[in-house]
Amino acid sequence: MVFKAETAGSDDLKAIISAVSTLVDEATFVASAEGITFRGMDPSHVALIDISWPNSAFEKYECDGDIRFGVKIDELGRLIKRVGKKDKIEIGISDDNKLLVTISGTKKYKIRMIESSSSETPLPKVTYDAKMVMDLQNFDRILGDIDVVSEYLTVTTKGSKSVFSGKGDSGEVSLDVKGGDEGVREITASAESTATYSLEYLNPITKAIGSAAEDITCEYSESKPLRLEFKVSNIGRIHFYLAPRVDS
Amino acid sequence: MGLDLKPLVTREKTSIESFMSRVVAIDAYNALYQFVSSIRGADGAPLADTRGRMTSHLAGLFYRNIKFLSLGVKPVYVFDGKPPSLKATEIERRRAAKKDAAIKYEKAIRQGDAAGAKKYAQQTTVMHDDMIAESKKLLGFFGIPCVQAPADGEAMAAYMTTTGQAYAAASQDYDSILFGATRLVRNFSSSGRRKLPNRNTYIDVEVETIRTQAVLDMHKITREQLVDIGILIGTDFNPDGFRRIGPKTAIKLIKEHGKLEDIKGVSDELAKIDYKAIRDIFLSKPTVDEPRPEWAKPDAGAIIEYLAGERSFSRDRLEASLSRLKKAQEKQSHNLDNWF
Repeated sequence: MVFKAETAGSDDLKAIISAVSTLVDEATFVASAEGITFRGMDPSHVALIDISWPNSAFEKYECDGDIRFGVKIDELGRLIKRVGKKDKIEIGISDDNKLLVTISGTKKYKIRMIESSSSETPLPKVTYDAKMVMDLQNFDRILGDIDVVSEYLTVTTKGSKSVFSGKGDSGEVSLDVKGGDEGVREITASAESTATYSLEYLNPITKAIGSAAEDITCEYSESKPLRLEFKVSNIGRIHFYLAPRVDS
Repeated sequence: MGLDLKPLVTREKTSIESFMSRVVAIDAYNALYQFVSSIRGADGAPLADTRGRMTSHLAGLFYRNIKFLSLGVKPVYVFDGKPPSLKATEIERRRAAKKDAAIKYEKAIRQGDAAGAKKYAQQTTVMHDDMIAESKKLLGFFGIPCVQAPADGEAMAAYMTTTGQAYAAASQDYDSILFGATRLVRNFSSSGRRKLPNRNTYIDVEVETIRTQAVLDMHKITREQLVDIGILIGTDFNPDGFRRIGPKTAIKLIKEHGKLEDIKGVSDELAKIDYKAIRDIFLSKPTVDEPRPEWAKPDAGAIIEYLAGERSFSRDRLEASLSRLKKAQEKQSHNLDNWF
């Protein structure tokens, strides 16, 4: 079996590794002729990441079958951290069944693989009533503003307006955002929708993707899961699903 | 106690977190017995209140359930009813062993052998009716449901996993697999380590699940055959098992011959036990259907009143744990599984 994938730089891979590491310690990636995918949930099944990294995003890509490879994400992350922004990264599988990571053609790492999980994670089936498209920076700022007093974020969208709010021991906050505001491309809601999500999950994923993505699309429905789509330049898609909080 | 199926099963590593919003049927006697035998002072004596009544079981239940509820696990405790009469030999054997341990304990104390005293004290662990009632009372204050099994608690817990009332049955004993539990979860305890009996060392203990179907698939056998294998090895109902037959031989014999009756070499021994009745215990369903268990919010006031007011627990520590639980419960999220 042939599997070889080479990236132009390291940003994509860094974003993917740090996104995945917010949810799991061990990750199973699937490589096929179309590209590399990852889908996994945190142990409590509150959040799910679905990544599709198409072959077109690579400088060179070769794969003639379905290959699953499992890694300890911190072990891979430690090595990827050392890679410079412009460094090419080549990923393959060695003859002795290790993950082969070659950096700029000169530095060659062999990383142990772990037993890959064989279970298929389904995707939540939700029709989304509310949709927001904004700069990731802007979204990150909203999370930060809510985080000052609250451990969760409540969002209500009606028409082209969203109200973000939160409440904690120290106080409460409410924040209005309209479609057309600076850094806000679009806000639409086919039905008024309110839901509450934990910042414990939203903050790390937003920070993990960081500057790798410019835009974020945020979709949800009344008391249903939220879906974030991060548009990372080369990566087909990073979807992040988050279950709403239990109302207390 | 319990049967040695370990070499025959595939265990999957997991974590308590992965049981969030899942119902787990806990073999109550198994859990309480562990508390009473392991939560002890340096001299081997169980914890007690100012009136000398044992409190190890209450301490264990309190901290373990704080952990479960904080992580969003939905425990239901399944208590034993009347043990099947076939278990009499095993019960008698355990009683004799405890009596023997009690004598050794006295001797160790007289000789000033602290380590020995602790070891034998643990082996004298007995469960009193009072402790069961107290445990149920505390669980009630926690809003955690209890189920009364008609006979064996483990059988009932296993049965609940097959009807969908519970996602997994929690026990240390592999008997749950013979009872057909969809999923058995072992080491379902609050800390990642457990003290080795009689030694001053701890080992890392990982939460693991065993699925009966996976065991059957792996060996290409039926549940009936698995029960026969159990009988050959020795269950609570024929604790001695068969002469010179361990797990590996047992599975080989059953795969070769199909069932107990067709294994020629064991017919003499087989004639001495009521194997049909033993099979029936494992394969028949408990005769009652309990109403669906329901969970209520923990009553922190009642828990403190009971444990601090009546059973000499530290009020401050209870309050700290309960307030941590309240905080954790406030920020629980749903589970995406609801939308798959």
